[in-house]
Amino acid sequence: MSTTLSVEKTEPGGAILRDVLRKAIRLRELQLVVAIAVVVAASAVAHPNFISPGNISFMLADSVVTAVLATGQTIVVLAKGIDLSVAPILGIAAVVVGFPAQNHNLPIVAALGLVVLVGLVLGVGNGLFVSVTRIPPIIATLATLSVYGGLQFIIANGQEVVNIPNAYDALGNNDVVSGIPWVLVIGVGIAVVVALFLRHTNVGRAIYAVGNNAGAAHRSGIPVQRVIFATYVVSGVLAGIAGLLYLCHTGSADSTTGTDSNVNLTSIAATLIGGTTLTGGRGGVVGSVIGAVFLSVALTAMVFARIPAIWEPAGVGLLILLAMVTDRHSSNLTARARRHRQGST
Amino acid sequence: MTAAAAAPGAELRPAVKSEARGDSRRRDRNWVLALVALLAAEVVYFSGTVPGFFGGGTGLLALTEQFLDVGAIALGLAVVILTGEIDLSAGTMSSFAGIVMAVLWRDGLEIWVAVVVALLLSAAVGALNGLIITVFKVDSLLVTLAMQFILGSVATALGGASPPYGFPKSFVSIAGTGTIGPVPNQLIVFAVLALVISLLVGRTRVGRSLTLIGFNRPAARYSGIRVNRTIVGAFVVSGLMAGIGGILVSGLYNAARDDIGNSLLLPGITIAVLGGVDIFGGKGRISGVIVATFVLGFLTEGLLVAGDSSLSATMVTGILLLVCLAFKIGLDHRRGVDDRALVSRRFRRLQSIGDPS
Repeated sequence: MSTTLSVEKTEPGGAILRDVLRKAIRLRELQLVVAIAVVVAASAVAHPNFISPGNISFMLADSVVTAVLATGQTIVVLAKGIDLSVAPILGIAAVVVGFPAQNHNLPIVAALGLVVLVGLVLGVGNGLFVSVTRIPPIIATLATLSVYGGLQFIIANGQEVVNIPNAYDALGNNDVVSGIPWVLVIGVGIAVVVALFLRHTNVGRAIYAVGNNAGAAHRSGIPVQRVIFATYVVSGVLAGIAGLLYLCHTGSADSTTGTDSNVNLTSIAATLIGGTTLTGGRGGVVGSVIGAVFLSVALTAMVFARIPAIWEPAGVGLLILLAMVTDRHSSNLTARARRHRQGST
Repeated sequence: MTAAAAAPGAELRPAVKSEARGDSRRRDRNWVLALVALLAAEVVYFSGTVPGFFGGGTGLLALTEQFLDVGAIALGLAVVILTGEIDLSAGTMSSFAGIVMAVLWRDGLEIWVAVVVALLLSAAVGALNGLIITVFKVDSLLVTLAMQFILGSVATALGGASPPYGFPKSFVSIAGTGTIGPVPNQLIVFAVLALVISLLVGRTRVGRSLTLIGFNRPAARYSGIRVNRTIVGAFVVSGLMAGIGGILVSGLYNAARDDIGNSLLLPGITIAVLGGVDIFGGKGRISGVIVATFVLGFLTEGLLVAGDSSLSATMVTGILLLVCLAFKIGLDHRRGVDDRALVSRRFRRLQSIGDPS
């Protein structure tokens, strides 16, 4: 009696355990953590300095700008869009705040308000083009990439921000407690808020629904175009905040900030490596943040391995390809996906 | 009003499929005509307001050298976009081709052999794009985005600190700044490319397959078209055309440029889309792309000659792309499925007015 019962109990128990294990192996976040561990271990064996507290702190702080951008990018991609204009939004935010900060000692709270406003306005621009005029996201944001890039050029007017007030520098480079930089706390805070928002609010769930099946979302009463509009606004605001973080962290900004360091690519790379699929409706912010850390670690490892910096973009490109090829769920008919990405209602 | 009353039967007749198709063809043709009008207006405007733009006609012809490289890239992009895919690697592909050619030439290869090798390599990388996309069934947006950065790195690494410059005269003349009479050689090269691509797309079986794949992929598969093979072919064409664009860039500057490639991508896509190629595939004419090359090219050059910075010209490119697409998509929306029948009905009504019986 007791034996049969225990058999009955262990059978489903074992199945559940196997199931959990199988799911865990497929879980992108876990794969990434393992990948990060492997890269760190391999680099640490070759160069013990790689795991010095200073370097770890540097890599984490370095990934924050990408992580914040990727958080916004993830929201857009979840709703089957793409935002190629985050680079100039970051750049415009950095120069709009950078010059008053340098010349008139703009208080940091006002700076925060300003970058949010900049991101909001530019994000609304993207949202209008995508959800009102129904221009396909990739084309709309490719176009705003150049329009915003031109704006940034005009605003910077050939000048350069080289000297930021101490308060900014402290935010960008000081530690809360030793080893944990302020930017990291801010980045993690943003990611946690957005992750909770996506999982536990109606709007967050609506974003997944729109990405999964816009038609079904429409029939179940979700204002599809309004949700898509909102994703671009959020992405714009987060890109603006990332611009402030970038300014604080690097202490510089000019007419090509953002565009020249390929933050478009790295934000998309972190999102995709983190397991969010371009076909929409699958993935999440946690993966993207881990993806951003992975990118930072991998690129730093390249530096430690004495690979010249010009190969960095190629490294990111290869990682994107690898992430795509290993993700079986991304194997969808691409044309159909893009046709739907227009968000037809 | 009376005409409508006179032909009630015509109004009730359902719009047959072939008529709807004729209607969309007419719309495509109207789009190309609108582009031609835009081009004419633009040339007249700049000739009138910007000194040195028209230059007695030869100035106008000479200006084309500045943008035909983008035109070549756009022709290749149009082929890929027709199938519903996209090639974001076209820009750095042209840097890659230019650098490969220049480095091979510097290392002692005959220049034209170097050109051929560079073009073959571009086509091979295009094939690699297509193979990754079709074998692993990955989104072309991602594969070519990744390839964009890989090629950019490779080009910069190959080129080194100072990429080769100062090519032989024969090369610079044909691929760059030479002319026959007032006609730049580049214009002749572009004309040949444009002719080949438009014949390929408009007059061959392969071209029809490309369009059908973009229009309805399952239908294309069921009708026996080798979808994957054709898509790989489209990427080969795109890679080859981007490579040619890169050779033209090298000829124009008489130097290999690893820094210029990616700035050609946005204008390339703009030209293809402005030319009326549906970004979702399945619709578009190469004639539109050819006209759009000149529309965008003269617009950019007009602004540059007038003294605007290249970044504000890029900005105008972006705005033009947005406005045109918003306009075109708005037009398509208004003439949705029901309205399309209405348009053809109205057209028949006009015909019935003309017809005495």
